[in-house]
Amino acid sequence: MSPNPRHNGKGTNFSDLLEFHVPADSKAIGNVTDRIIEALEGLGIAEEKRLEIQLAVQEALANAVVHGCKNDPTKEIHCRVQADPGPGFSPDRLADPKTAERVQADHGRGIYLIRELMDEVSFQGGGNQITMRKY
Amino acid sequence: MDINVRKRADVELIQLRGQLRLGEAVDGLRQVIEESLGNGDARLVLNLAEVPMIDSSGIGLLVRFLASTKQRGGSLKLVQPSKFAIQTLRLVGVLNLFEIFDNDDAAIASFA
Repeated sequence: MSPNPRHNGKGTNFSDLLEFHVPADSKAIGNVTDRIIEALEGLGIAEEKRLEIQLAVQEALANAVVHGCKNDPTKEIHCRVQADPGPGFSPDRLADPKTAERVQADHGRGIYLIRELMDEVSFQGGGNQITMRKY
Repeated sequence: MDINVRKRADVELIQLRGQLRLGEAVDGLRQVIEESLGNGDARLVLNLAEVPMIDSSGIGLLVRFLASTKQRGGSLKLVQPSKFAIQTLRLVGVLNLFEIFDNDDAAIASFA
């Protein structure tokens, strides 16, 4: 993991951004989400909200690793956390994983969880980028 | 994630500590449960008291092994999932697939 050297993620000035470039390796995701959660904790954000954000970021990064990069660790994922990210758009809703046909599947819940946990979710770049907001 | 496995009254008791998420945690738990199933043990109790978060990969694993254990005449039962884990399982509509218990003893006794 190579975080932006200007920001260590442990301060309380979250208007600064956290920025990570990580290999597309499932084992690297946890380090990123742990660092983000440390930063949120430093801001005094309640545990429930921290967990919701952590899970949403975890799902977004997991999708990037598994579906975007096909688990190829030579590829790199760029994760950027900002206090006020730019505008996006609302994508069409994905299939509901709670339907009788899908509820026992072992995959297909990540984006649904992100949309349920975060207040705003938008996709850019043909799906290569996701922007999430939690108020 | 720490994974501790014990056997009590012919039930595999798996104690987890840490986030159950894609990567080492999900891989480790998959390996442990596959070993149990390979040894003919299909009665599993998963203690989640120290698991603050379960991601969709972890949920997928639980759902898959719930089906696997049931196919073998057993089950995968959960003990003390956190409030957030319960909320997550409910959000994706799988909470009611699982039997949930307040403690290990009650979960183990339910197999009798």
